[in-house]
Amino acid sequence: MSILVNKETKVLCQGITGTQASFHIQRSLDYGTKVVGGVTPGKGGSFHLNLPVFDTVKEAVKETGATASVMYVPAKAVKSAVKEAVEAELDLAVSIADGVPLKDMLEIKSILKGSKTKFIGPNTPGIITPGEARLGIFPENIHNPGHIGIVSRSSTLTYEAVLETKRAKEGQSTVIGLGDDVLIGMDFIDVLSAFQEDDKTKAVVMIGQLGGAFEEVAATWYKNISHKKPVIAFIAGDAIPFGHKMGYAGDIMTKGYISVQDKKDALSAAGIIVVNHINDIHYELAKLK
Amino acid sequence: MNIHEYQAKKILSHYGVKIPKGMIAYTPNEAKYAADKVSSRGPWMLKAQIQSGARNRGYFIEKEAGEEGGIRLIKSKRQIYENATQMLGSTLVTLQTGPSGKKVSRIYVEAFSKIESAFYIAVAVSRVAAELTLLVAKIYDGDVLKIALNNPDKILKERLSLSENIDTKQVERVMNFLGLKPRSFKHLRHLVNALRQAFLEKDASMIEINPVGVLKNGELIALDAKISFDDNALYRHQDIQSLRDDSEISEREIQANHYKFTYSEFEGSVGCIVNGDGLALAAMDLLKDKNIGTACFINVKGGVDKDKIASGIKIIMTNPRVEGILLNILGGFLRCDLIADGIVSAASEVGLNVPMVVRFEGTNQDRAKEILENSRLPIIWAETMEESIDKLAQALEEAA
Repeated sequence: MSILVNKETKVLCQGITGTQASFHIQRSLDYGTKVVGGVTPGKGGSFHLNLPVFDTVKEAVKETGATASVMYVPAKAVKSAVKEAVEAELDLAVSIADGVPLKDMLEIKSILKGSKTKFIGPNTPGIITPGEARLGIFPENIHNPGHIGIVSRSSTLTYEAVLETKRAKEGQSTVIGLGDDVLIGMDFIDVLSAFQEDDKTKAVVMIGQLGGAFEEVAATWYKNISHKKPVIAFIAGDAIPFGHKMGYAGDIMTKGYISVQDKKDALSAAGIIVVNHINDIHYELAKLK
Repeated sequence: MNIHEYQAKKILSHYGVKIPKGMIAYTPNEAKYAADKVSSRGPWMLKAQIQSGARNRGYFIEKEAGEEGGIRLIKSKRQIYENATQMLGSTLVTLQTGPSGKKVSRIYVEAFSKIESAFYIAVAVSRVAAELTLLVAKIYDGDVLKIALNNPDKILKERLSLSENIDTKQVERVMNFLGLKPRSFKHLRHLVNALRQAFLEKDASMIEINPVGVLKNGELIALDAKISFDDNALYRHQDIQSLRDDSEISEREIQANHYKFTYSEFEGSVGCIVNGDGLALAAMDLLKDKNIGTACFINVKGGVDKDKIASGIKIIMTNPRVEGILLNILGGFLRCDLIADGIVSAASEVGLNVPMVVRFEGTNQDRAKEILENSRLPIIWAETMEESIDKLAQALEEAA
C-alpha cells in the first residue's frame, strides 16, 4: 500500500513533448510508472516515447483511462493545465513548475475548491511511491520501498529526509513534496490524513519551514485525531532574522508573526516529535522500532 | 520586487486613492522648487525614499545629516533646502535596513495633511486559506508589528473576492471596528475596492498603507504606501519592471538575479552554496546553534550551465564578509561534476582564500570529488550536513 499513487495508477503527462518532460517521463517509465499517454495541444494523434499524444486532457482520459497527471508545463501555463485536469475529473494532478504567479495560484485554488482533483505543487519534486510510481523529478536511486511516509514543504530537504530514513535502515511508503511556494495545492493535513489511513505507513516524517501557518493548523488537526501514527517533524528557518525578504510579508499580518519556535511548540504540544537538527531524524526513527 | 513610496502612491492614485500633493527631488534645489509647487505656505513633509518601513524612527549615520530621522515635518520654507541637503546622499538606518543602512538618493516633498485620526490598511494573501485578505488596524504611526505579535485580535481581517467588490456588510464591519464616522463610509468602500483592484491588476503580493489619514470631511488619504510585486508575474508588467531601483539591492544580488539564482545576504561570516532554499535554511540553523552567522547564500537550483554555476560561486567567494564557505549539494539531477568544475574555475579566477567544506550527494558525485582532488584546492570533505557544519566550525576556529 501507499498513498495517492501506486503501480496500478494510470498516469498522463501534460506537456509531454518538452525536453524536461521527455527526460523525466522516460525515467519514470523505466522506474515502472504506468504512464499511459501525454497531452500537447496541436500534437494530438502523434506518438512520443512510444506513448499516444492527445490534444486535450479530456480526450486522453477517455482513451486511456488515466486518473493522474504529471505536468511539465511552464509556470505561465500551469493555471490552464490545472483547469483542464479538473474538468477531466482527474484524481490527482502534480505540477513541478517553478515561478507560478501568485494570482494564478489564487485562481487555481478557487478552481480546485469543490472539485475531486487533488493538486500537488507547484515548485515541488512531486510524488514517488518507491518501486511503484514516480510523478515528478525525484532522483529515484535514493528511494527504497518501506514504511515511512514523508511530506515536506522544502524540495531539497525532502531528499535529506529520505537519506535519514535510509540511515535508520528504513524505506519509504510514499514521499510527497508539497512545494516551496506561498500558495500550495495539498497541504500537511491532506497528506497526513492519507498516511493515517494507509496500512503500510507506520510513521511519518514532516518537514516544515518558516512562513505560513501550515504547520500550526496541522498540529491542531493532529491533536484532535484518535489512533495517531507517530510523526517526526523538522522545521527549517530558525536563523532567518525577522522581516527578512525570505519571509512572506503577508504572514506578519495574517496571523500575527509565526516564528519557527512557535511552530515547534505547536507541534510538540500536539504530540508530534520535533527534532532541532535534520540529521536527528534517523535517531528518532530508530527509537520507534 | 519592491518600489518606492512615491511610486506606490502614484500607482494607487491611478486607482482613485487620494494622496497628498507631492513631488520627487534629487537635489536640494529641486526640493525647494517642489516645496513651492506642492504648497505655498506649508507645512511640508520631507520623506527619504529608501525601500524600508520605520523611516521616521530611523537615524542617519552621518553626523551632518542631523539628529532627525528619514521623515521630517518642515514648517518654514527656509528649512527645506537645509534639510534636503542633510538627507540627500546620507545613509539612513532603520529597523529593516540592517546596521549598514541605505543611501538616500531622492526625497519626496509632500504637502502636510491635517488629519483627525488614522488607521492601518493592507491587502495580502492568507496562505492557509489561500484567499485575498483585507487587514485593518486602529493605530496611528504605531508599530503594527508589535500589535500583530502581541494582540492579533486588534487586527480585523476580511476576505476579499477575486471577482467582486467588497460588500456593504463588510464595509460596515470595518467602519465599526475602526470607529469611523458615517461620512467616511463611501470613501472607505472606494479605498478598499481600489486596493483590491490594484492588487489583482498589477499582480502585487502585498499593498500596505500605514497610515491612512481621516480628513475632517470624512475623506481618506494615503499618507504612506508600500507595494510589493510578485516577481513571478513581472513578465506581465513592463511598466512595473521599469520602476526597479537597482541601487536598493547589492551588486552581488543583481548578478545572481541575472543568472536566475536566489541570493540572500545577512550579517554573519559564512557563505553557503546550495541547490535549494530549504538546504540553506537548515544549514543556517545548524550554524546558528554554533553561534556562527551566515553572510550570504546562493541557491544555484537545478543549474546545468557550468559557466553560470562558476559565476554564482564567484559571487560567494568575492563577498568580503565571507570567512568560510559551505557547499551543500543534494540529490536531484543537478550534476555534482558541473558544480566541481564551477568551483575550480571560480577559484582559478578569484582565488580560494578561506576554508571551504564540500558535501556532494547526487548525480556524478564521485567524478566531482575526483575533479576537486585533482585541482589541489584545499577542500574539506563532509558526508552529511551535520558533519559539514562541524568541520566548517572547526576550520573557522583554527583560522581565527
